[in-house]
Amino acid sequence: MLLLAAIAAWAHLAKPMPPLDGAEARRRLADEFPGKALDCMWISDDGRGAVARSGGLALILYAVGDGYVARDLPWDQVAASPVQDGCLALKLHDMAAPRAKLAFATWPLN
Amino acid sequence: MLHAPIDPVTLAVPFFILAIILEIALARLGWVKTHYEPRDTLTSLAMGLGRGIPGVLLGGMIFAVTVVVYNHRIFTVPFGAVWGWVAIFFLEDLTYYGFHRFSHERRFWWAAHVNHHSSQHYNLSTALRQTWTGGIAGTWCLWLPLAWLGFSPAQIAIQQGISLVYQFWIHTEAVGRMPTWFEAVMNTPSHHRVHHARNPRYLDSNYAGILIIWDKLFGTFQPELDEEPCRYGIVKNLGDFNILRVAFHEWIGMFADISQAKSLREVLGYVIGPPGWSPDGSRDTSASLKARWRALQAPAE
Repeated sequence: MLLLAAIAAWAHLAKPMPPLDGAEARRRLADEFPGKALDCMWISDDGRGAVARSGGLALILYAVGDGYVARDLPWDQVAASPVQDGCLALKLHDMAAPRAKLAFATWPLN
Repeated sequence: MLHAPIDPVTLAVPFFILAIILEIALARLGWVKTHYEPRDTLTSLAMGLGRGIPGVLLGGMIFAVTVVVYNHRIFTVPFGAVWGWVAIFFLEDLTYYGFHRFSHERRFWWAAHVNHHSSQHYNLSTALRQTWTGGIAGTWCLWLPLAWLGFSPAQIAIQQGISLVYQFWIHTEAVGRMPTWFEAVMNTPSHHRVHHARNPRYLDSNYAGILIIWDKLFGTFQPELDEEPCRYGIVKNLGDFNILRVAFHEWIGMFADISQAKSLREVLGYVIGPPGWSPDGSRDTSASLKARWRALQAPAE
């Protein structure tokens, strides 16, 4: 089992994960939240996540491995979430993804 | 015959390993398209290996119940009869279709099956990301009618193994489309890619084991479309590679919902409603996601 995983690691076959730009973040958010209009959007400092506001909702996108995970939360909760060690720490209230960390040195952004 | 003289899955393990190595090697050489993320691969393989533990714990009980039902059979299908193997090939595959559809459309059984879909990758290692809780979920009961009809527990076990081994090779992006006649009758990598996709258009389709004919017969067939590449995983992807989260997250979520239920109706909705069911309809189900997708497509059509 470990040998197969090691072979997979050696082969470097993970999906390419270039830092998100505005267009790619919007495309991924549109896939995850079809039909939701984005009022504004912030890409994390490392380009591995994004937060968008859609009315009273915050649409959250963050990288896990070579894929992305998306969740929505009430905007007020996200706006009030703390920054710890350069990361916006979000409690997602979901057993499948309990928390997310996005690299934002300061939050909220204007 | 009660005990199976051979176990197709055990016999196929070396083939599984060699096929994964081959898929990685061909992808490394750039000859086929596939992606492997080491932690994802390790999680899939660990789920496959760990599947043996509940298998040992519950296998005896499942076997005993099957033998009891077989002892009350209405016919006797001779183990060596060719017609018996032809019959069980079709009947087991139909049973698998029912089990698989049930496992996607009702949350209690989805809780046991979701782990198989939890990878955002679609490669041969994904095939081994098997359930740990299928025995507890009781879906094995769906195969009991075969024993009642007169198929021996050994014959049922062998045919189940053949089905599982067949389904291994279709978990790949390395194979595009098979010949038309094959795609028309058999479950193929293309059909099963659709089954593992989380695009709203593709949700809850292609439940087949070996034969795709059941999906065509029961209206759940969806061909793979070149204009809509599959996005793999589950509607709400997992936030890490923790194997316990992979195995149990939906069970924990379901029991958390039950603890908040205000009526028996809500309990039943959370347990046997479709995945995503909620009393106020505020969460997404496959049906609501598909309806929203259709509504967004409508202006363009």
